[in-house]
Amino acid sequence: MSADVELQNVSVTFGSFYAAKNVSVKIQEGEFFSFLGPSGCGKTTLLRAISGFLDLSEGKVLIGGKDMSGIGPNKRPTSLIFQNLALFPLMSVSDNIVFSLEVRGVGKIKRKKRADELLELIALSGQGDKKVHELSGGQRQRVAIARALAIEPEVLLLDEPLSALDLKLRQKMRTELRAIQKRVGITFIYITHDQGEALTMSDRVAVMNEGELEQVGLCGDVYDYPNTSFVATFVGENNPFYSKVLSVDNGIVKVESQGNTFFATAGRIDEKQNHSFSNGDEAIMFIRPESIFIKNENNKLDNVFAAKVVTIEFEGNLKNIYLKTESNMNVRFSVPNAVDTSELLNNKEVELTFSSQKAVVLPKGALAVD
Amino acid sequence: MKSQHVLNFMLGIYIFIFLAYLFGPLIIMSVTAFNSAEFPAITPWECFSWRWFQEGKIAYDGQHLAGLSTDWRLHDGLIKSLIIGLGVVVLAVPIGMAASIVLTQVHSRLRTIFYSVSIMPVLFPGVIIGISTVVLWDRIATIGGEGFIADIGRNGIFLTILGQTCFISTYCFLIFVARLQRFDQTQEEAALDLGASQTQVFFKILVPYLMPAIASSAVIAFLASFENYNTTVFSILSDQTLTTVIASKVRLGISPAISALALVIITLTLIAAIIYEVLRRREDRRKKERQDRLLFEETQDSRLKKETTKSFRIPKSIYVILFVLVVGIFGFNHLVKNNLYGSECVAAAELAKKSKFSEQLKLLQQNQVEEKALEGGDLGGNKDYGDIFGDPNLFKDFGGFDTKDE
Amino acid sequence: MNSFFIKNGPLISTYFIIAIVFWLIFLIIIPQLYMLDLSFRPNLPPLLRGGPDDVHTIVHYKHFIFGSESSQDPYNYVDIGVFFNTILTAILVTIINLCFCYPIAFYMAKVANPNAARLLIVSLIIPFWINELLRSFALRILFAGEGVINNILMDTGLIDTGINFIAMDIALYTGLTYAYILLMIFPLYNAIESLDTNQLEAAKDLGSSTFRTHWRIVIPHAKAGIASGCTMVFMLTAGALATPVVLSSPNTYWFTQLIYQWFNMNDNWSRGSAYSILLLTASVIFVLLMMRLFKVKIGEIVR
Repeated sequence: MSADVELQNVSVTFGSFYAAKNVSVKIQEGEFFSFLGPSGCGKTTLLRAISGFLDLSEGKVLIGGKDMSGIGPNKRPTSLIFQNLALFPLMSVSDNIVFSLEVRGVGKIKRKKRADELLELIALSGQGDKKVHELSGGQRQRVAIARALAIEPEVLLLDEPLSALDLKLRQKMRTELRAIQKRVGITFIYITHDQGEALTMSDRVAVMNEGELEQVGLCGDVYDYPNTSFVATFVGENNPFYSKVLSVDNGIVKVESQGNTFFATAGRIDEKQNHSFSNGDEAIMFIRPESIFIKNENNKLDNVFAAKVVTIEFEGNLKNIYLKTESNMNVRFSVPNAVDTSELLNNKEVELTFSSQKAVVLPKGALAVD
Repeated sequence: MKSQHVLNFMLGIYIFIFLAYLFGPLIIMSVTAFNSAEFPAITPWECFSWRWFQEGKIAYDGQHLAGLSTDWRLHDGLIKSLIIGLGVVVLAVPIGMAASIVLTQVHSRLRTIFYSVSIMPVLFPGVIIGISTVVLWDRIATIGGEGFIADIGRNGIFLTILGQTCFISTYCFLIFVARLQRFDQTQEEAALDLGASQTQVFFKILVPYLMPAIASSAVIAFLASFENYNTTVFSILSDQTLTTVIASKVRLGISPAISALALVIITLTLIAAIIYEVLRRREDRRKKERQDRLLFEETQDSRLKKETTKSFRIPKSIYVILFVLVVGIFGFNHLVKNNLYGSECVAAAELAKKSKFSEQLKLLQQNQVEEKALEGGDLGGNKDYGDIFGDPNLFKDFGGFDTKDE
Repeated sequence: MNSFFIKNGPLISTYFIIAIVFWLIFLIIIPQLYMLDLSFRPNLPPLLRGGPDDVHTIVHYKHFIFGSESSQDPYNYVDIGVFFNTILTAILVTIINLCFCYPIAFYMAKVANPNAARLLIVSLIIPFWINELLRSFALRILFAGEGVINNILMDTGLIDTGINFIAMDIALYTGLTYAYILLMIFPLYNAIESLDTNQLEAAKDLGSSTFRTHWRIVIPHAKAGIASGCTMVFMLTAGALATPVVLSSPNTYWFTQLIYQWFNMNDNWSRGSAYSILLLTASVIFVLLMMRLFKVKIGEIVR
């Protein structure tokens, strides 16, 4: 049984400090939804508010349409997986997993049966009598998940559960988590600062910054059509070109940026509308590294500019090429490892090109700090 | 380099002297327990005897010097001490636990005050705590009129339990605070989130975590109560605990029965310490074996497979044991040779002393000896203590120390 | 308050509140306050207490300073003398204890290898599991006129008649130093142990003498331990009853013995309370002094 979660104008304040400010979002039942943002953006606050550990200063949290005000964390249909897992060290793995049944008075035999079921779900059959400290990191993750799922909550909340794992394990767990969610079918609300995680696992993602919701949408939409400068730079890599609007014509914006003239698409405010620009407005044009190409016979797109190579960075499957324009602006773009870049020596001037369809113009705003 | 050696050597001597200072009196005292002479001594060595552990003796001058097994006061005091100890544990451990948990829940300003007040009892002299308990409850008893309140307010055991709980709770408190500091708060939250009520969180998560602290504070509370004197001597009123009985022996006369008692306690302590150490080592070893086994399971690395060695290795302490054995054999030999043990020896010594006493009596009758010489040495006399423990009118409603029929 | 009850559940909250109020208010604060009050009241027989004669008076404190009306002396030399003797002896014992224990603590913490250190720790603890009274008795047996030490000295012909260790207070001082060694060593040990050994090696490397190393590096670091040890030893010594009773000579009183007299022999509870307050004040002043001198907070003193 799964439920939807709705936040209506939720604010959480500590004194005059807004940990979360006027957040409104509706999470569909059965959805894998992520809150994405840097540390201190308010995602943990929201999670704790939804699970009942934090009181709201303003607004409401509704789960399954029911207002949760005044209902404590032990009475809400939510289960929270903590960042440090918070497994009970003095209990065995099985006892950990069926703890939620034990506190509800479920009998021993039924608990054992459920424990075995869940152990099988997380591929740890037969290890129920071990103590928590005898398991590896990945195994403990899975125990935490099983424990949270034992009582079949309507909503599962996950607080950066993978941040303590190494890269390979993290990638493996991402797939597993997604698989578990699909199989169990309940609403997952996941918070992370790692946008790769958010994008690979979620149906929809909400980007947060300094307590406020910047954008909510499908992963592809958030990536391709960022609504603000922050989202454009936090999700994925992006090249910001500070520019001034010259003219707007049918959704195509002509901007001037340090001697270069570019054509780009107006960014969206939300699914329905685009930003409107007037001539002379200050704006930022964003073009993703993977959308920039070296100009040659095959690549001739509507935007061209020149830059000098500074350095080439080898990242394994990609090569990142850093350049500087005449006006001292940093640009980077990437090519797959297989591409031959032997010609790109230091200080070599190259001509780069990109499509106006991939370039997005957004009002000037704060960028995500690296 | 040389000066370092000299320094170390001197340090070694210093430590040796230090340890001798610590253990010397106790060792000597233990030895005197076996000397049948009335006053604890090593020289002159009268006879090797177990009498002070058993029946004691009636001295030639009429004084009854009880041995351990016949000293009814000692037994009575022991039982009272046990009762009080139990009472204190029952009160102090929950108090300490409550206080430590609440400490973690209050804001910082209140916390400092709370902590300071909780620590205060340890900074009070024990006598003050005993006195204040007695005066307060005496007042309560007076106001309370007849009946239960009046009775309990003047009951030595009740008052002692209260007085000791006052500061022993602080010991428990400190132990719990230390244990709580490393507690992971998110466990409580996780339990709540999984549906546990607050009470369930307390009993299923917090208390199991605090179990080691509960156990150790219970032990410490009991021991602290058992050996307490300063507070008890005031609050026990007309009753006695083991420690006050021992203290009263100052007035009744020191006999090697005290040495015997000390030796019994020392032996029990040593045995307890050895058992504890053995258990701890066994636990450590078992834990290590389990860890190795798990590691082996995971990695299947043959390097980790260790044969459990069953060989018995000679511990270094063998030298100490040999030394003790040699001394023991030598001493035993000496005893046997000089006929210094057994009941014949004791009887002979008694005879010698009796004759000496009658001689002195004769001399006294001839007015040639002052009375002082009969009071049995520098100690043991009532007047030497300014009557601290000797006031026969001390507790008017109490039967007094010597009124039990012997 | 409400959130407290919510946080702990009704049952446990009640338990907490009862336990804490009972302890802090009823066992700690109220008895002391009552004793303080009693010290200001005249010594009335039970029937007259609470009656018209029961007013606040400083007659007991006056007695401490000035003595009774019937005495010739302008001041109560006896009682005041006992008080100061107790305090000064306690301070002396504390200092002796500190000097005595510091090398041992340092050795255990820094010089000895772990096994030796552990052995030393255990061997230090064992004597202290024996009751303080019994330990004092052991010393008594050693120091008495017919005691072991005198017997050995006489037997070997070093002296002719017994030395009265007790009247000379040697027994008392030894006993007091002996009694609280553990409470001085362990705070010192813990404090010194927390010092980074590298600092000592660095100092030696830079040419510092042993004395200077201790004075400039070890001792400042062990401040809290020193303060803690000194405070505990002083308080326990000043407030000691068992050891002075067993080991002091008939001419030397310990202040606690005086209190005992007022209480149990003269039945003058008010006066006993007054004297107790004096002792308490002395202790508190000492603690505060220590805290100020060593700049430590109260939490660091108690173990």
